[in-house]
Amino acid sequence: MLMSETDRNARFVREFACHEVAIRAYVRRLVPSRSDCDDILQEVAMVLWEKFDEFDQAGDFRSWAFGFARYKVLSWLRDHGRRRLVLDSDVVAMIADESLEEDSLLEQQRHAFRSCFKKLPGNQQMLMANAYRQDMKIQEVAATSGRSTAGFYQWLYRMRQMLLECVQRQLASEANP
Amino acid sequence: MSKQHTFQQNVQDYLEGRATPEQVSQLNQCLRDDPEARRAFREMLNLDSFLKDETEAMMHAMTEDQADCQRPTYAEPPLTRQQQERHAPTARSRSNASWLSLILVVAASLLVAVGTATWFAWSPEFAIVEYAAGSQGLSAGMALGAESHFIEAGTVQLVTPRGARIVIEAPALFYFESAQRLQLKHGRLAADIPREAHGFTVITPTGQAIDLGTKFGVDMPESGEAEIHVFQGEVVAQSTEGGKLRNLRDSQAFRLQSAVGTPSSFRSGAFIQPGEVDSLNAALQAGQPKRSQSALQKLRDDPSLIALLDFETQEKHPGKYRNVQGRWPGSRAAEFVQVGDHMKLDVGGERLWPQLTLAAWVRLDHLGEPFHSLLHTDGWEDTKKGQVHWMVTRLTTMRLALRDNKMAPEEQSHEGFPDSETSVLPEQGRWVHLAAVYDSDHKTVRFYFNGTFDREVKLAQAYPARLGPAQIGNWNTNDRTLSGRIDEMLILGRAMSDTEMEQLFAAGNPYR
Repeated sequence: MLMSETDRNARFVREFACHEVAIRAYVRRLVPSRSDCDDILQEVAMVLWEKFDEFDQAGDFRSWAFGFARYKVLSWLRDHGRRRLVLDSDVVAMIADESLEEDSLLEQQRHAFRSCFKKLPGNQQMLMANAYRQDMKIQEVAATSGRSTAGFYQWLYRMRQMLLECVQRQLASEANP
Repeated sequence: MSKQHTFQQNVQDYLEGRATPEQVSQLNQCLRDDPEARRAFREMLNLDSFLKDETEAMMHAMTEDQADCQRPTYAEPPLTRQQQERHAPTARSRSNASWLSLILVVAASLLVAVGTATWFAWSPEFAIVEYAAGSQGLSAGMALGAESHFIEAGTVQLVTPRGARIVIEAPALFYFESAQRLQLKHGRLAADIPREAHGFTVITPTGQAIDLGTKFGVDMPESGEAEIHVFQGEVVAQSTEGGKLRNLRDSQAFRLQSAVGTPSSFRSGAFIQPGEVDSLNAALQAGQPKRSQSALQKLRDDPSLIALLDFETQEKHPGKYRNVQGRWPGSRAAEFVQVGDHMKLDVGGERLWPQLTLAAWVRLDHLGEPFHSLLHTDGWEDTKKGQVHWMVTRLTTMRLALRDNKMAPEEQSHEGFPDSETSVLPEQGRWVHLAAVYDSDHKTVRFYFNGTFDREVKLAQAYPARLGPAQIGNWNTNDRTLSGRIDEMLILGRAMSDTEMEQLFAAGNPYR
């Protein structure tokens, strides 16, 4: 491998590492499930790597990456739409475009979520963590919490709602000291 | 139920994959028409992203690096209870954990994996166990996902969907992050990566190795730094603490230390490679360990026994060496790695031994130094006629030198000492049985490789053998490091016959 290629690797890795969370969150907003998101993210990373030479080093890596991610998601929806329950492409495109405008707000929210999440009692945090584990069936997680599966989903939904409200309150209070 | 509530319920059912076609249709309608609904939708999905990252991080009791940019996160699968008992969790730098996902993707992009293994196409499995030799819990045919595996003993050979073959030797703790990324917490691994799997990455606590088309090994001791050894091809290595990417090529080795990393001596033989595991397993199935045990027991009862080291007892011999797996799953051997490594031994006393048999199971990692010591008595003094030096030479032959002995005039010898005919070179990186039988009455030295008689050297002057303070794997006067492992070492005060030697080898042979 030439030295310049090594440099290229290093530069790419640096950029991608910086923006991976945001790119993943962007993709997540556009696809039905967390595992779809992981699959697409892999593909997006591949394209970004291939096209990295075309990236203007002075430019904004994140918006450049979002462009490819948007394209990948839409073609994924086209391919999977017949077999899977997905949102209509025009709706996804709207959400994607508006996501761009709101990116910094959404990032701010992700930071704020942490302080709200940390306020939850430890056992609730753990339960939430178990609900997000890919290697555990939700039925098992529900059982450990002493709830029915349906009851557990409702608990999960309420927790998410609560976290959203917490963040909205927090960001509002920061905006109006 | 309010419209707002229905919408929230639909969004959450959708993100959990539970929405009905009717719910999705309502969602489409709502999102298309109402910008506020789209905003709420984005925020809920944004929360979902956050929760996934955060809870994964939490499972590992780590916090996301909140420097000037956010770093990505990867989950480390939780250990089972059984594994937890054996493994104290170690903190891991999350920030380094994931950048590689890219690079590797990188190389992955160079290949369009054309149905290398269709069995894998839709399964969440990252590898399949091809062979398992003595590793409890893993057996041939088993599929591995993202769960952690601890192997206390033995060796496993895995194959990924893209055809990467990986051999992991116990004790080892590892798990796959994906079919192209393997976390090796500790253990020893050799990988043979075909073109389809270029970019395969091994991540250790002190750094990572990214394949660029190659065969390579990673040695990650339970404490210490990882070493990357490139047998063939090219690998990119990087220390965890953000050191430069470093390209390694054929026969190079590198130790991944904090930030910088240092070159290291190349030890290709230290790794069990694809192809060896099935042969080890066949021997296990054939009951070799038991056969070996009974042969050892017989030797322990031999009245002429001077020493029989099998390294199995907890008692550590003095010296500087590593305790690693021997020929059998869970058995122990002494491994000599660094310059200066050695094991001290003091057997045989002041007594003189007219006949002497030396035999050992050895795994040679690296050859090419002038001398690799098997057993060297301390010093080399003319007052100690008959003192024993047993070694592998720069010509990769075996040598048994006794102080002040002289070769018979008709003997052709390279340096005036009895050397074997056969080279150990073809056996580098495999267990080999090396033996020499000395008889001062008959004035002969006889060499054996894997139980087979190699050559007899005649002597004009032959003193009885003298032992006493000695080193295995080195010499106390000059550095004569042995790079590799020694499993059994037998020192016997009589001459073994050809038949006995053949039987000794056959009983202890770890291969079939």
